[in-house]
Amino acid sequence: MTEASPKRPNFLTRHGMLIFVVTLAILFPFIVGLIEGQSPATVIASEGGNSKFLMGLAVEVFILALFALSYDVLLGITGLLSFGHQMFFAVGAYGSGIMLKSLGWSLPLTLLGILVLAILQALLFGVVLPRVHGITFALVTLGIASMFWIVIQSPDVGDWTGGDVGLQGASSLVPAWINTNDHRFRFYLMALAVLVLFYLVFRRIVSSPTGAVMVANRENQDRALMLGYNTLWFKMFALVITSIAAAIAGMLWTMHQPIVTPTVAGLGWVVAALLMVLMGGIGTLTGAIIGAAMFRLLSFYLERWFGGGASLMLGVTYVLLVLFLPYGIVGTWRLKQARVSEGRKRLVALVTGKGG
Amino acid sequence: MTDPLLTVHNIETYIGQFHILEGVSFEVPEGEIVALLGRNGAGKTTTLKSILGLTAPRTGDVVFDGMNLRGMQPFDIAATGIGYVPENRAIFGALSVEENLRLAERSKGELERKSDLIFGLFPDLERLIGLPGTALSGGQQQMLAVARALVPDNRLLLIDEPSEGLAPVLIEQMMEAIKQLSSDTTVLLVEQNFIVASRLAARYVIIEEGASVASGDMADLVNDEETIRKYLGAA
Repeated sequence: MTEASPKRPNFLTRHGMLIFVVTLAILFPFIVGLIEGQSPATVIASEGGNSKFLMGLAVEVFILALFALSYDVLLGITGLLSFGHQMFFAVGAYGSGIMLKSLGWSLPLTLLGILVLAILQALLFGVVLPRVHGITFALVTLGIASMFWIVIQSPDVGDWTGGDVGLQGASSLVPAWINTNDHRFRFYLMALAVLVLFYLVFRRIVSSPTGAVMVANRENQDRALMLGYNTLWFKMFALVITSIAAAIAGMLWTMHQPIVTPTVAGLGWVVAALLMVLMGGIGTLTGAIIGAAMFRLLSFYLERWFGGGASLMLGVTYVLLVLFLPYGIVGTWRLKQARVSEGRKRLVALVTGKGG
Repeated sequence: MTDPLLTVHNIETYIGQFHILEGVSFEVPEGEIVALLGRNGAGKTTTLKSILGLTAPRTGDVVFDGMNLRGMQPFDIAATGIGYVPENRAIFGALSVEENLRLAERSKGELERKSDLIFGLFPDLERLIGLPGTALSGGQQQMLAVARALVPDNRLLLIDEPSEGLAPVLIEQMMEAIKQLSSDTTVLLVEQNFIVASRLAARYVIIEEGASVASGDMADLVNDEETIRKYLGAA
């Protein structure tokens, strides 16, 4: 049986594109610096200029990509539609802000605290898992997240969360050696490394037997149950790992932004994640990253070029993307790639006269 | 007759408010193929799902190898040694043939140990091992669904409509496969196609409007035109 199994591709075939993209991302600030006439030393020292600004924008892309990646694992791989995923991000953002600012915790302790909070909130969502499915689960999670959204804006906790204005100044409490204002290049590399790490971990999980059960649960839960799998544990596992990823994304957001507003806990934030995943290609992982890049860069440049009309243009762009690329960018690419490959084989067979 | 491997005793099952099974009772002797017959909507698939715990019966008992399955979770019931081949070629389309088969493993290397049996019955699957389920034809998907149930050491296989939508040549192949696998495994078969059911099964149970109304040897039913006309709508 094993001899009929496809050969495992070599290291470069499996990781070549990733290595290329990561190398390009590392070189990106230097390329911008070169165009702008900045020396590499100036870029590394993050002494201002367009490269520092674009690194800041890229960091936002990395953070949103991590958030979208976590949503893709939950929805696209495991099939759990949650409208409360923004809470996973917001708990990371607000939690780390409070730990750094109000509790005066160190960065490593804050990271530990966020991991604990991420697991606890996943368990909270998991409590309802055995009882509700599908759209009901989505609505229950929306309810839980909405309560959190209301609480963080409450004046009663305003000293901690900043109320409806938002939590300010936490990023300045990040140690100088990794501070986004003082050492943007280091922060840029760290955000990139975190994204790549989670991408590799998720890719490994998805291609493992555990990932196969998660996909089986998405396709048909009853069939997975009948193969002897307690799908509840696999859904719980998906909630925990995606909660950790989203909370770490939220923590990075707080470390990068001068102010964390309640927007990150609102429904719009999970809709943004859904858009990123749909644009890139649901269940593809790489699609979530590409979708996040498109989402942030389109928002930024359309606002810069068209001002108030940007929202309308963004809406039109999303509609066009969904109409013409219903499987998202990566999903459609994979479909076309299969067809192109089949066409190439037919053409070769026709030319060489072999096969039919 | 040998001792029954499965005993279904007067089960009643509801789906939501609807009373679907209103008293189904029968026995499946070890080592035999038993066909569950009945018109569309009679409750045959619900009977299988009730045995499996997917639609748990409210009353009655399902006893498998001396163990009462009532109240057990579907994944625990599957672990007792009951395999299920659902209707409609129920494979996981996004996963490869190998991944579909591996999912059914209860211990590492089980697929390798069963590969002679599985690929002997379904040689096409070995050739298609790396392809995603969606790339398979309808017949190949049905074979994969049956093959998946053969990976673990199941003592009882519940097979739902294996011939549905298959070309005649594939039905023959599927029948041959079920005959071969029944030498090691007891089979409870739901089959609309009476000719297929009568050629495979030694015994039958007829379900009518959610209740078991007749049972016996298949050889007797084949000659009982009145029963066939009354409950199966054909002679």
